[in-house]
Amino acid sequence: MIHRTRRQPVNRRAVLKAAAGAAAGFYAWGVPGKSYKRARAQDSAISQILAIPGAGLQPSEADMEKVGELCLRSTKKGAFAGQTVTFIGVNNVGAHNNIFRPLSRAWEEYTGATIQWIDVPQAEIFPKVQQGIATGEIEFDLVEGGAPWEGDLLGRGLGSAMPDWVKEQIEIDDYVRLLQAPVGTWDGVTYRISIDGDCHNFNYRNDYYTNADLAAEWAAAGGEGEWAPPTTWAQVQEHTKFLNGKQVDGMDAYGFLDVVKPGGGFSWYFYASRATAYAKHPDSPAWLFNPEDMTPYINNPAFARALQEMIDVIKLEPPDQTNADLLTTFYQFLGGTGAMCAHWGDVGSNVYTNDSSIVQDKVSFSILPGSADVYNNTSGAWDTVGEGQLNFAPNEAYIGWGLYVMQKAEERGVSEAAWDLAAHLGGKDISTWTVIYPSGFQPYRNSHFELEYWTNANYPAEYAESYLASQSDSYNHPNGAIEPRIPGIFDYYIAAEEEMSRAVSGQKSAQEALDAAAAKWEEITDRNGREEQIKLYRGSLGM
Amino acid sequence: MTVVALLAVLIQALHTVGAIGPGFDSWRPVAIIVVLWFIAIDVMVYVDGGVKGQRLLFLLPALQITLALIIFPTLFGLIVAFTQWDLGGVSGPVFNGLDNFRKMASDGFFWNALGNNFKYVLVAVPLQYVIAFGVALLLNQGIRGQKFFRVAFLVPFMISPVAVGWMVGRSILDANRGVVPKGLDRIGLDRISFFDQPVPAFLGIIAMDSWVAVPFIMVLLLAGLQALPTEVFEAAQIDGASPWKRFWNITFPLMLPVSVTAIVLRVIFEFKLVDIVRVVTAGGPGGATDTLSLYIYREGVESSNVGYATAMAMVFLIVVLVSVTLLLIFAARKVRDVVY
Repeated sequence: MIHRTRRQPVNRRAVLKAAAGAAAGFYAWGVPGKSYKRARAQDSAISQILAIPGAGLQPSEADMEKVGELCLRSTKKGAFAGQTVTFIGVNNVGAHNNIFRPLSRAWEEYTGATIQWIDVPQAEIFPKVQQGIATGEIEFDLVEGGAPWEGDLLGRGLGSAMPDWVKEQIEIDDYVRLLQAPVGTWDGVTYRISIDGDCHNFNYRNDYYTNADLAAEWAAAGGEGEWAPPTTWAQVQEHTKFLNGKQVDGMDAYGFLDVVKPGGGFSWYFYASRATAYAKHPDSPAWLFNPEDMTPYINNPAFARALQEMIDVIKLEPPDQTNADLLTTFYQFLGGTGAMCAHWGDVGSNVYTNDSSIVQDKVSFSILPGSADVYNNTSGAWDTVGEGQLNFAPNEAYIGWGLYVMQKAEERGVSEAAWDLAAHLGGKDISTWTVIYPSGFQPYRNSHFELEYWTNANYPAEYAESYLASQSDSYNHPNGAIEPRIPGIFDYYIAAEEEMSRAVSGQKSAQEALDAAAAKWEEITDRNGREEQIKLYRGSLGM
Repeated sequence: MTVVALLAVLIQALHTVGAIGPGFDSWRPVAIIVVLWFIAIDVMVYVDGGVKGQRLLFLLPALQITLALIIFPTLFGLIVAFTQWDLGGVSGPVFNGLDNFRKMASDGFFWNALGNNFKYVLVAVPLQYVIAFGVALLLNQGIRGQKFFRVAFLVPFMISPVAVGWMVGRSILDANRGVVPKGLDRIGLDRISFFDQPVPAFLGIIAMDSWVAVPFIMVLLLAGLQALPTEVFEAAQIDGASPWKRFWNITFPLMLPVSVTAIVLRVIFEFKLVDIVRVVTAGGPGGATDTLSLYIYREGVESSNVGYATAMAMVFLIVVLVSVTLLLIFAARKVRDVVY
């Protein structure tokens, strides 16, 4: 405690945290400029920044600049004058780099550094980074990357180890269990600042399931059980078939929304979400490959069943759903099309804050649906979980975006600036704001699950509870389907989604497509070195 | 200097494909050496070559750029085509003989994409040519507002195909938010999806591609029409030839050389079609709109399978070269038969 107290004078956080509360309060009331300088300490900084921009509003760039200013914890005033930090990140509309830019403006002003932004589409960022690695032309100091890339980035010794002061500043112990080591580490060394959680949860329209007319029709049609939100994939299928041709609130009703269009490997996650309940057996952490020899599981009966189910209902989904990518589905759901979708947690933070959303007060959440049986790769048979029980296996898809400082930054003499910027963007305060407002990121710290933060930002308590429970229960699920952090993981996904799209379009049967995908996976494993892949795969699953 | 530069290129090329150990981490130092070598040659030619050298200097930079940016990458690509090179792999490039080509022979995606390329050429190019010829004839008639129409017809050609794909494919024709499907829905027709069935999707891509390509052909043909000698047409008119006969027996034959140029260029562009497809369908549904360029992009860039992608690119280069050469031979005969 004494030690911390002694450090306080040089910690801008200590000065600003007190002032920030009042400042944000003034700002929220419309006082312009840097009024926080004359503010007095009152509520916590976090509670106050969550009032920007406030209920039901999409944050403007000025709002984000203000948040960045209020959350600045750097103590390096003018220390990086003349230095340029090159940052490569995703340029999705209203998210990622597009929010980092305004959030970092105060940091640039304060430290004197300049940030050179490299914006890349989500589907292309990994190949671009990979090309830089392979050709030795690493032009970036800081990369926004996913945990699945760690085999490529950290396994090759290209990352810069996180200094202790960064760990302290970002309060790394606050991360949810899923993001604790080994995620973000390699050979016991920490490299990553997490800025996102990531898992797929189940988003559904509660107004569909409280609709008396639909309930009556469901009963009249001989639907099994109550007309209630589905808890199994079999029910998702039945509900999707039932809703076909019906109307709700004057709009065509649709059931589940799939993502099929190949998209740099990202469509894989949506198929995987359909498959985990069938393919992830509670007795083994391995669900993609045999951990002994990297034989793919992707063509086993579990994955085949999931793909066949997708094929069975794709024609009942909105027109042109075969061309839907992850953003199409995201905006379909926010725009009122579809009763259910599996997606990253961004849906939850956008329902009330995205201008495209018309589904306020109509959405609830759960973990991904389950299955009454699960495929056992060891016995080669379907296991029944137990009378009245279901196998749930949340898809811990992507394990979140993180910030990685490259070794090259050290060679270029800008690593301290890069770490300081990364710590700013991955700080506790700023992250609480980014997970609550549209950003591309979902809760990933234990503190993000404080209901009060969400209600302070004017989320209805019931909604926030439903959303946070779906996230927390997914992260902490004992049978979570963990993504392996092995080199070339996206090559596997791209190969699979190519074949998957062929099956959905009717050119191949589900089994033929998956057999072809399995053959490609074998080839990719060989290209990457089978023995090394086995070692890293087992390591990433904690085996 | 020449020896040093050539050695640097050779060593680095062999190092990159994994044949030898020594080499630089990146190509940047080699590029600097080569640029310095080029400059040294230029200076020497200028200083020692006298008037002849000064004349040569007009040509030399273009030759050097061709060597550096076309010939060298092609030769390097040829080497890479015989390697297994996965950017994500730990081993780097490994010589694998003819494996990439054997794989290609049994790769359904490759044959599907190549087949689609030929379908695009066979369906789109004639269609675009006929429409463009018609528009060019109209604009050559001295109609009112001719200048406005010429500019107006050129506008689609000025728009990036990516933007066309987004505006038309993803915004106007999109089944969920597009103006056209919504409009059809409002007048009681079922909401139409243009891109979820193979044939409509293929034709939709051709329509968008044609929207961009027709003005290009039209400009070439219009320039050709304006250069035709008027005396021939006047003589034919005096002899009582009908408009159709004047077109079929005079305009069309005289326009054949320009037409061949336009068609050959369009065939090449059609083989390289990638942008609209990538934006609108990404090759779907089920590969119905896929092109080889897009497949090579996916394999080489998204999947980092550089060796195989390069091998496909090399084969594709040969396919395009052979196709265009055959087309030129056929066209030359036709032009000779008709014109002379």
